[in-house]
Amino acid sequence: MKKPILQIENLTTSFKIKDKYYMAVDHVSFSVSENEIVAVVGESGCGKSALALSIMRLHNNQRTKIEGEIKYKERNIVSITEAQMNKVRGKDIGIIFQEPLTALNPLMTVGDQIEENLTFHTKLSKEKKRLRTLELLTQVGIPFPTRTYKQFPHELSGGMRQRVMISIAIACNPSLVIADEPTTALDVTIQAQILELLQSIQKETKMGIILITHDLSVVAEVADRIVVMYAGQVVEIGTVKQIFAKPLHPYTRSLLNSIPSAVTNKQRLHVIEGIVPSIVNMNRDSCRFSPRIPWIPRHAHEESPELHEVAPDHLVRCTCYKHFYFQDHRGVKITNGIT
Amino acid sequence: MVLLKIEDLKVHFPIRGGFFRTVVDYVRAVDGITFELSEGETYGLVGESGSGKSTTGKAVVKLNDVTSGRILFEGQDLSKLSFGQMKPYRKDIQMIFQDPYSSLNPKKRVVDIIAEPLRNYERLSVGEEKKIIQNYLDKVGLSPDSMYKYPHEFSGGQRQRIGIARALTLKPKLIIADEPVSALDVSVQAQVLNFLQDLQKEFKITYLFIGHDLSVIRHMCDRMGVMYRGRLVEEGTSDEIYENPQHIYTKRLIAAIPDLNPESREKKTHLRKRVENEYKQYRSKYFDDKGRAYDLKLISDTHRVALP
Repeated sequence: MKKPILQIENLTTSFKIKDKYYMAVDHVSFSVSENEIVAVVGESGCGKSALALSIMRLHNNQRTKIEGEIKYKERNIVSITEAQMNKVRGKDIGIIFQEPLTALNPLMTVGDQIEENLTFHTKLSKEKKRLRTLELLTQVGIPFPTRTYKQFPHELSGGMRQRVMISIAIACNPSLVIADEPTTALDVTIQAQILELLQSIQKETKMGIILITHDLSVVAEVADRIVVMYAGQVVEIGTVKQIFAKPLHPYTRSLLNSIPSAVTNKQRLHVIEGIVPSIVNMNRDSCRFSPRIPWIPRHAHEESPELHEVAPDHLVRCTCYKHFYFQDHRGVKITNGIT
Repeated sequence: MVLLKIEDLKVHFPIRGGFFRTVVDYVRAVDGITFELSEGETYGLVGESGSGKSTTGKAVVKLNDVTSGRILFEGQDLSKLSFGQMKPYRKDIQMIFQDPYSSLNPKKRVVDIIAEPLRNYERLSVGEEKKIIQNYLDKVGLSPDSMYKYPHEFSGGQRQRIGIARALTLKPKLIIADEPVSALDVSVQAQVLNFLQDLQKEFKITYLFIGHDLSVIRHMCDRMGVMYRGRLVEEGTSDEIYENPQHIYTKRLIAAIPDLNPESREKKTHLRKRVENEYKQYRSKYFDDKGRAYDLKLISDTHRVALP
């Protein structure tokens, strides 16, 4: 049994909208071990980025309430002070943001931005910091580190900027890195390179990675375990093999059926009916996916659905997965989506 | 029948510099490409950012100036036409843009957005116009009462469908879809793609589909062209390109597509390593001494590759 680096238990993040709090992340629990990539998957608005920011405590604390536990190596980082958190952020947990051009400071050189992290967390001399920065730039595969060191973000291409982001995230050898859609803004060839880079860094440092993405094919490429989120809740959790070989929750199955995969032939794509519910007016007591699969009878769903263990480490919310099938536009059952 | 024929199209943007802001050089965004679209087919243009695929699309509707070459639409060369002369052709060629958030005017109601092209070409009474718009809203699956709403009241997928309804009102023969689903979630993407296919069946529309997501392109297109630095490096049916890529750049692009099957991970890494080595070793063979791709050569009836 591997030692978990991060254990999230019943994490609930609520946002204040007109004096009332609404849960965007709703009792989420999972853990990340060392040398493991856990992918958090879902569409926009499912709470996956809110979850990432909660772990880093980057939400505006006037308007956000975080409950539950986030244990980083046995220490609950939800309750520690801001000053203590500053020591964790960037040193123990690194984060890679989606859009490197907006996440990097346009007025600072690449070298300064990486060194900023080292200055804050270490007591290295100026020269040592410079050497470490150059070493990092080499590690992330930047071809001319000494030149890039003096350049500004706008002088670099998207892929190079993302490499700089990664080097900032790993500057202090964190044991956990959160990658929030790290390849969404990139071209496929660059995406493949960045994913490979993350994997090779992981091999060296044995860090845990939380990969937040909406792209299931990226997940299939790199992840070890998958957490599928819908409307703030975890609806399915399991290993990559379990979820891709035998997806259970209707949402997971619907998602997999709506990808124009590069391998299958020109079938019609599955469209999930309706829209993602907003956190303000959402029915929180019944199965949250039920309005989007109206052809599944009401009794198939549970009252206040729970996560059920269907196989070792494979959890599914609600009982509706047992009765779920896809139908065509005439309402005829076509497939149950499990192959 | 050939609907659109692009012949040796070049779009060069001047780089100005020096004391009097004189032209010092050109960015060769599109540097001599030739392809054609038959009526009713979907032609895909793929390539990485900066390869010139969007510039090509924009040149067809003359949102960009054309440096040289011909754009033949039903036999008429559009590149030589003035703004006024272009008007009747604008009706037949419409565009769907990438970002549904910035391509709809936030201060206009849906009815005005969709009616805008219509008002440019036809004189209709308010009642007639309303009837037509209702019809198209129905086609794209939006309720009639959304007519008097503003774009911010809709989700991304719905907005993209408003953009599509706007492109449809003049019954165009050719639609240029510039990354129509890149900004959308997978399930919404599926909805828009299915919908574009249905429309094609119903109205016999020809699509020039521009994108960087190779699985989407494969799903949608009959034939496709792969662009690299303003040049086409390979062209053929989707199956030819995916199953049997010939140019080193295409091989690399195809190898980079993430695979949905976690079991084949190792095979994929292996393949990528092999292609990457091949790319490093033989790269220079596929490009001339200026780094430009060669002209396309036929290797089968439908498959053309840029080989020396």
